[in-house]
Amino acid sequence: MNINIDAIKGQTFDAIVVGSGISGGWAAKELTEKGLKVAVIERGREIKHIEGYETAMKHPWEFDHRGRPTNMAAEEYWAGMRTGYTPNEEHRYLFENDKQNPYIEKKGGFDWIRAYHTGGKSLLWGRHSYRWNKQDFEANAKDGIGTDWPIRYEDMAPWYSYVEKFAGISGQAEGLDVLPDSEFQPAMAMTAPEVHFKNEVNKKLGRPVTLGRVAHLTNPGKVHTDLGRSSCNFRNKCMRGCPYGAYFSSLSATLPAAMRTKRLTMVHNSIVSEIIYDEATQKAKGVRVIDQNTMEVREYFAKIIFVNAGAIGSTSILMNSKSSRYRNGLGNDSDQLGRNIMDHHLNVRASATVEGFESDYMFGNRPNSLYIPRFRNWGKDKRDYIRGFGYQGGASRDGWGRGTGMDGFGATFKESLTHPGKWNVGFGGFGEILPDPNNRFQLSQTVKDKWGLPVLEFETSFGSNELKMREDMMHDAAEMLEAAGFKNVNAYNRQGTHIGLGIHEMGTARMGTSVKNSIVNKHNQVHEVKNVFMTDGAAMASSSCVNPSLTYMAMTARAADFAVSELKKKNL
Amino acid sequence: MFNRREAVSRIAMMVGGAFTAPTLFAMDVKESGKFLNADLFSLTDAQRQIVAAVAEHIIPKTNTAGAIDAGVPAFIELMLKDCYKAPEHASFLKGVNDLIKAKFLSQNQDGQVAVLTLLESNTKDMMRSYQQRRMKVGDNVDKETLEGANGVPFWRLIKELTLLGYYTSEKGIEASFIYQPIPGKFEATKLLPGQKSFQY
Repeated sequence: MNINIDAIKGQTFDAIVVGSGISGGWAAKELTEKGLKVAVIERGREIKHIEGYETAMKHPWEFDHRGRPTNMAAEEYWAGMRTGYTPNEEHRYLFENDKQNPYIEKKGGFDWIRAYHTGGKSLLWGRHSYRWNKQDFEANAKDGIGTDWPIRYEDMAPWYSYVEKFAGISGQAEGLDVLPDSEFQPAMAMTAPEVHFKNEVNKKLGRPVTLGRVAHLTNPGKVHTDLGRSSCNFRNKCMRGCPYGAYFSSLSATLPAAMRTKRLTMVHNSIVSEIIYDEATQKAKGVRVIDQNTMEVREYFAKIIFVNAGAIGSTSILMNSKSSRYRNGLGNDSDQLGRNIMDHHLNVRASATVEGFESDYMFGNRPNSLYIPRFRNWGKDKRDYIRGFGYQGGASRDGWGRGTGMDGFGATFKESLTHPGKWNVGFGGFGEILPDPNNRFQLSQTVKDKWGLPVLEFETSFGSNELKMREDMMHDAAEMLEAAGFKNVNAYNRQGTHIGLGIHEMGTARMGTSVKNSIVNKHNQVHEVKNVFMTDGAAMASSSCVNPSLTYMAMTARAADFAVSELKKKNL
Repeated sequence: MFNRREAVSRIAMMVGGAFTAPTLFAMDVKESGKFLNADLFSLTDAQRQIVAAVAEHIIPKTNTAGAIDAGVPAFIELMLKDCYKAPEHASFLKGVNDLIKAKFLSQNQDGQVAVLTLLESNTKDMMRSYQQRRMKVGDNVDKETLEGANGVPFWRLIKELTLLGYYTSEKGIEASFIYQPIPGKFEATKLLPGQKSFQY
């Protein structure tokens, strides 16, 4: 074998970060800023900030099918079609083709939505950013569900603050225990019927309503502008990629911050097939990758490895990392690897029409909604299920699309559709899903993908707790719309949806108190392979009902701080 | 299939709520596993004339551009070919051919409007029975038998595609709305008398 010394040196780093999405970007930023030489290994293609957002500035008429997916796209993006928006012509280029990246639904259905490119789903996320509350971290212990979190809100609070200041979270401080306030950029505005709704629901039902807390700059500071980020322009075309860097993504924020340290190396098109375990040191020494285009196999070495490939991706890498010590996957003494897949269950909504407010309107396209924090099983409220849900929604005026449901055609009809129609309002719930060890995925024994890696087999279904909660989600949404005096209230609880539809997949390598019940410890270290850190959704031991990304950010920054201090102490 | 329907309704919301229940059902049909037959759909010149005439009745040229000015007829054909499958191809062609048989183009303006008004009225009845039968049959029945000949009716398809094609076209947007691709702010405002909608 010919050994090229330069090449080997080039492939050795202080730290490897697998994946460049929300948590991988944070790992890269924190580790490089603390002085480490870091390689971020991204399985997908390179997308450059701004110039890579190929549809960002297109006009509606520049999309051949005006956004709608074609038959061909519907077949190729079969999992994406279940979400209803990911295969949209405007941003399909940022999602993965499901036909070319197959997975198996062995029992029940699972919606696995993927985005393999620089920044991953940080380019596509819903941007809602909420802190967990104290009870979220205590609930597993109190309910005897899953395993207890070895951390509490107090462990996370300073890290929430730390990541919020850098990411930029727009929102309104409310002083609520159920939804702790963040470090806020100014909140976005409400429309007149939304203000009415907020006041009525608060007065009649005692439930607070606030603006969605979203990772958009509304008054950027130097920390943001130094990276070329600027204020939100209220186009609401975020999923095409934001040329203003107004919403937080790895591309707009963390990767440029890491890059300016001159200690970051980006490696694209490289699928990490496994983590290389060293039996002698009982540590990982690097990763093996397959070039997604050339099929070339390469190895990269480092002192610490952050696995941030997305909950399912990260866990599948551990599963595929087999050694004589770990025959069932790296760090999997507990047999918890791949189990407890969670998400937020949704598709329970209520909508209504708003009488009046005819002279009210709004300017701009707000990339945000109102938020109604959890009120069930909170305080004195007790239901026949545990945990709870929040709502997102808002009010807007009908556009020209109302014409399809109207009678008539011709000149008067044409003219009428150029003016705003009636106000309508709708809210949808986001419910907590309990960890269930039977909701899991495994590596297929027989089916391989085009890189020779095992295809994943999912077995997931909702439990009785989720199904009971959905009844309340529907009822309570309708109740609030009625309390506000809105008309034609129409509520539904969509049956037959799957875990994964919220694209908040988490669990599968949960944090816990011992190697017997979990994969990672309170520092996100794999219990007995201490130089491997998992800080994305995989580490979650429960799901709360709030959008999860902010917690991944805080957890990653916290773990990176620990990892570097351990390195300095020569513990890793 | 419920996912699919929800899926489409979300896409509908994204482009301005253009897609009503009947087309959502149509999108369900596409899950029935039939092979793609997109390239089997095409129109003859005679059929194209009908499509253009009907689209222009829905969105006529007034002091602003009409459907033909905005390129809507070609858009309708493209959408049917690329985004719809056999049941809608069949119902659309049947509707067009019925108008050819009825010598639609030979009638005067008032006659044409009367035909289309009747068509809209009949379509509402068809939609009602279509939806009722779907509800009754539910999700567990072989959908082929139910939906094979029951694509979304011609009138609903052409009305919807005309509106979509027109109000998202450059000429249609210019003629109809206050186009603000980069609003720069979001605020509650008052609607001035006669004010057009903002489009983003």
